[in-house]
Amino acid sequence: MPPPKRRSRRLTTLFGRQPLGMALAAPYVVFLAAVFAYPLGLAVYMSFHRYFFAAPGAVVARPFVGLQNYKTALSDPAVQRSFLNVVEFLIINVPLTVVLSLVLASSLNGAIRGRTFLRVAYYVPYVTASVAVVAVWLFLFSNGGLVNQLLGPLAPDPSWLVNSTLAMPLIAVFVTWKQLGFFILLYLAALQNVSKELYEAASVDGAGKFRSFMNVTVPGVRPATTLVVILATITGANLFTEPYLLTNGGGPDGASASPVLVMYQKGIEQGSPDIAAAIGVILVIGVLVVSLINRRLLERD
Amino acid sequence: MKKKVYAAAVITLAMATTAACSSSGGTTASGGSALTAHGPIKVWLSNNPEEVTWGTSMVKAWNAAHPKELVTAQQIPAGKTSEEVIGAAITAGNAPCLVYNTSPSAVPGFQKQGGLVALDSFPDAKAYIQARNGTAADQYKSPDGKFYQLPWKSNPVMIFYNKDMMKKAGIDPSAPPLSTYADFLATSKKIVASGAAKAAIWPAPTSEFFQSWFDFYPLYAAESGGKQLIENNKATFDSAAGKSVANFWRTIYADKLAPQEVYTGDSFADQKAAMAVVGPWAIPVYKGKVNWGVAPVPTSTGMPASAIHTFSDAKNVAIYSACKNQGTAWDLLKFSTSQAQDGALLTTTGQMPLRQDVPTVYASYLSTHPSYKMFADQVARTVEVPNVNNSIAIWQAFRDSYSSSVIFGKTPVDAALTSTAAKVTTLAGQP
Amino acid sequence: MSRTRSWPRMVALVIGAIFFLFPFYYMIIGSLQAKRDTSITGIIPTHGVTLHNYAQINASLDLLRSLVNSGIFTGGVILATVIFGVLAGYALARLHFRGRGTLFALMLLVQVVPFQLLIIPLYVMIVRNYGLGDSYMGMILPFAINSVAVFIFRQFFLALPEDLFAAARIDGASELRILWSIALPLVRPALLTVVLITFIGPWNELLWPFLVTKDVSLQPLAVSLANYISNVAGRATNPYGAILAGSVVLAAPVVALFVAFQKHFTSSELGSGVKG
Repeated sequence: MPPPKRRSRRLTTLFGRQPLGMALAAPYVVFLAAVFAYPLGLAVYMSFHRYFFAAPGAVVARPFVGLQNYKTALSDPAVQRSFLNVVEFLIINVPLTVVLSLVLASSLNGAIRGRTFLRVAYYVPYVTASVAVVAVWLFLFSNGGLVNQLLGPLAPDPSWLVNSTLAMPLIAVFVTWKQLGFFILLYLAALQNVSKELYEAASVDGAGKFRSFMNVTVPGVRPATTLVVILATITGANLFTEPYLLTNGGGPDGASASPVLVMYQKGIEQGSPDIAAAIGVILVIGVLVVSLINRRLLERD
Repeated sequence: MKKKVYAAAVITLAMATTAACSSSGGTTASGGSALTAHGPIKVWLSNNPEEVTWGTSMVKAWNAAHPKELVTAQQIPAGKTSEEVIGAAITAGNAPCLVYNTSPSAVPGFQKQGGLVALDSFPDAKAYIQARNGTAADQYKSPDGKFYQLPWKSNPVMIFYNKDMMKKAGIDPSAPPLSTYADFLATSKKIVASGAAKAAIWPAPTSEFFQSWFDFYPLYAAESGGKQLIENNKATFDSAAGKSVANFWRTIYADKLAPQEVYTGDSFADQKAAMAVVGPWAIPVYKGKVNWGVAPVPTSTGMPASAIHTFSDAKNVAIYSACKNQGTAWDLLKFSTSQAQDGALLTTTGQMPLRQDVPTVYASYLSTHPSYKMFADQVARTVEVPNVNNSIAIWQAFRDSYSSSVIFGKTPVDAALTSTAAKVTTLAGQP
Repeated sequence: MSRTRSWPRMVALVIGAIFFLFPFYYMIIGSLQAKRDTSITGIIPTHGVTLHNYAQINASLDLLRSLVNSGIFTGGVILATVIFGVLAGYALARLHFRGRGTLFALMLLVQVVPFQLLIIPLYVMIVRNYGLGDSYMGMILPFAINSVAVFIFRQFFLALPEDLFAAARIDGASELRILWSIALPLVRPALLTVVLITFIGPWNELLWPFLVTKDVSLQPLAVSLANYISNVAGRATNPYGAILAGSVVLAAPVVALFVAFQKHFTSSELGSGVKG
């Protein structure tokens, strides 16, 4: 057998053991640089200047203002409220998503009757544009809508979406329902990697369904769980479409405004992209911190 | 991992510097030559079907007479607000020459972006505007004294009421008592109590910045005798008039005469509400659906109809700086706002051209269409949104506080007005 | 898997499915009704069904043209994501090269940043600087390579047993050959997940194509539908029904795609590749 190729030491340190990786990853890198890094860089730059978008050829002053945009953003009660709202959202949405999607994925993984129908049923909300689904939910949860008619005397008095305590939780449930299909898919893919032998071994040891779920499935999909938690947190923190469509501008008294909605209002509607950029940067940093904490907690062993 | 995160951050900062270098500066457009240039141009019309009909025939007439300066018209690409669309087009440098749907509240923002051409640059512009609009045109001047928009058409908002529902509630459908707050509230209570309608009136309770133009602002214009929200860069609504209007609406919501939830659709056309605050553009929409009547907006103690002001809901036309053939644009603008074309606008869409002589010049049309006469008379007494810096942020701040205090009753009304007035005055003073 | 114990599970799953599907059912029923019925009895279509709403929405916006535009937009994104994403995911998982960690960190950062923060700079760059306004390329570009997909590919390649690759390297195979003959054939399950996930984004995307295309004949269906809802719907005889009809048309292809491909998610597929 011929000896493996000897690579010069210098090349290895310079490019790594398999420099082919750089070539393979190159298109993606160029894409990221153009479509992501540049606009993000501009956004960060905007947050430190008095900035607005001008017509090409217009000469405008864009002085450096340090942290002033951040101060303005953070002292605005609407912005503060929106961050609180998003925390409330995440507390409801993330655990619900993880538990439901794992349970449903493992139930749907087995050979059961009507599997196609059931899988489609759980996936369909994810697939449909929010624009369409929102109209139905607005209708179902309106004052004279189906849900209130069924609840009768138990119906909440300012009805759901105009009730400042219920609006955000309802949106959290809506988003969980809508996105479950995506996370079920992720778990389904991860479950393929949990080998059948482990389940057989567990049932030989006398473990019941619940036990084998907790001891085989849950640890087996640990990396997927980390992914699900982080993705759900990120999507939740960046919530925009649902408050935008369900509550047209932030709901009763800003009770369902999300930071990205406020960012959109300030940046695109009111022409202050500098303050919007400051809010965005704060949000990104916050999410990064939370994600890192999540990852630390979940990858303990 | 730390080192990698650090590296990623460095890359982002490097990109930031590159981005900064490429975004600032740029060459100044040669405004002089574009101003007098003539040639083909593009214009945007609104999505309103009747306006599109008018616009298409207007353009056809122009094109027939000016084969070397052809006009291409298309509907404005739609979105939640036209401001987003136009603002984005200005930024990209591909805005059309004229937009027949420029909202006066957006003009300060577009002006700041450098996206508009000052009409005063055309030698005959000032005189033309003065002749067509008279003194009412002054509301549309920018703080620097120039016109960046041509006041085009208005939809003075009034109270539409459903005659059949009035009858059902036991109220005289030809003259329901709606002129004072007390009368209005009593009539509304009767309507809801009798079950004639789900809501006496159903203004949208949502928080978009422009919603106040259809509940608070028209009544404030009437009550204050024609004041704008801001005058001389100071808020005016922290006054007896403002408090009166706000407390009136608070009563409406508190007594459940108007719902706090939004209705998807037109509540008046769908017969869910007995009244609506809207302008004459809605007349074609209600035709055949509702047997309607019109009354001026109420005031606290009642005023004769000839003294009542209201919100204009005007849409104007502006020339955008991306335009290469501004000479043609100005000529088309004059053509499309001539007496003949304004008349065509009136008869095709029912919306009121912002001319000072509407009741006299179009008297024959108005006499054969009495439903429009009330609106025509109202045109002389319309109040526009104030042309100040940060106008959209101001309206958003106002709406947020109105929503919290008046619609949902979370904060006391008078105090909310005072604190919002302070905030708004600050915003108006900022560049 | 014992059959006898799966009864309660089946019942629970079916009840769950009904709850999940109910808004859809309501949507389809609503799109087939001639007049808007808001009562509880409206659940069952007692007044008969009609295709009028579909005809109406087709008259207002060219359904076929919009669907084609959506297809081109989505297809372009899927193609770019699959081709370049697999390569990048493989490189991140299995190859050691300078900058690998940084790229991974950047990829994670992409997930975190909301699109609304980037949208105007992106818009200026693509329309003003590159001149790609009103073109398919302009629509596709910001979405071209879906980072979640890259992540999924990476995780997938990481989960493959090391022995496979070690054995091939000892045999003297070059990296390219390993990629081509070993890694790529195995990627099928991940590929399907990625296609399904990548499909949704561009198919339902409203904001970006709306900003980039002013020309109505280029707009994908999601945008045309949203425009219709904001502007024209008020004039139709049953605006609610027409909107729902458009929404059903928008959702149908994706559901069909999923139904067609979901049977490939079985546990036997990967196991066979690794044993022995």
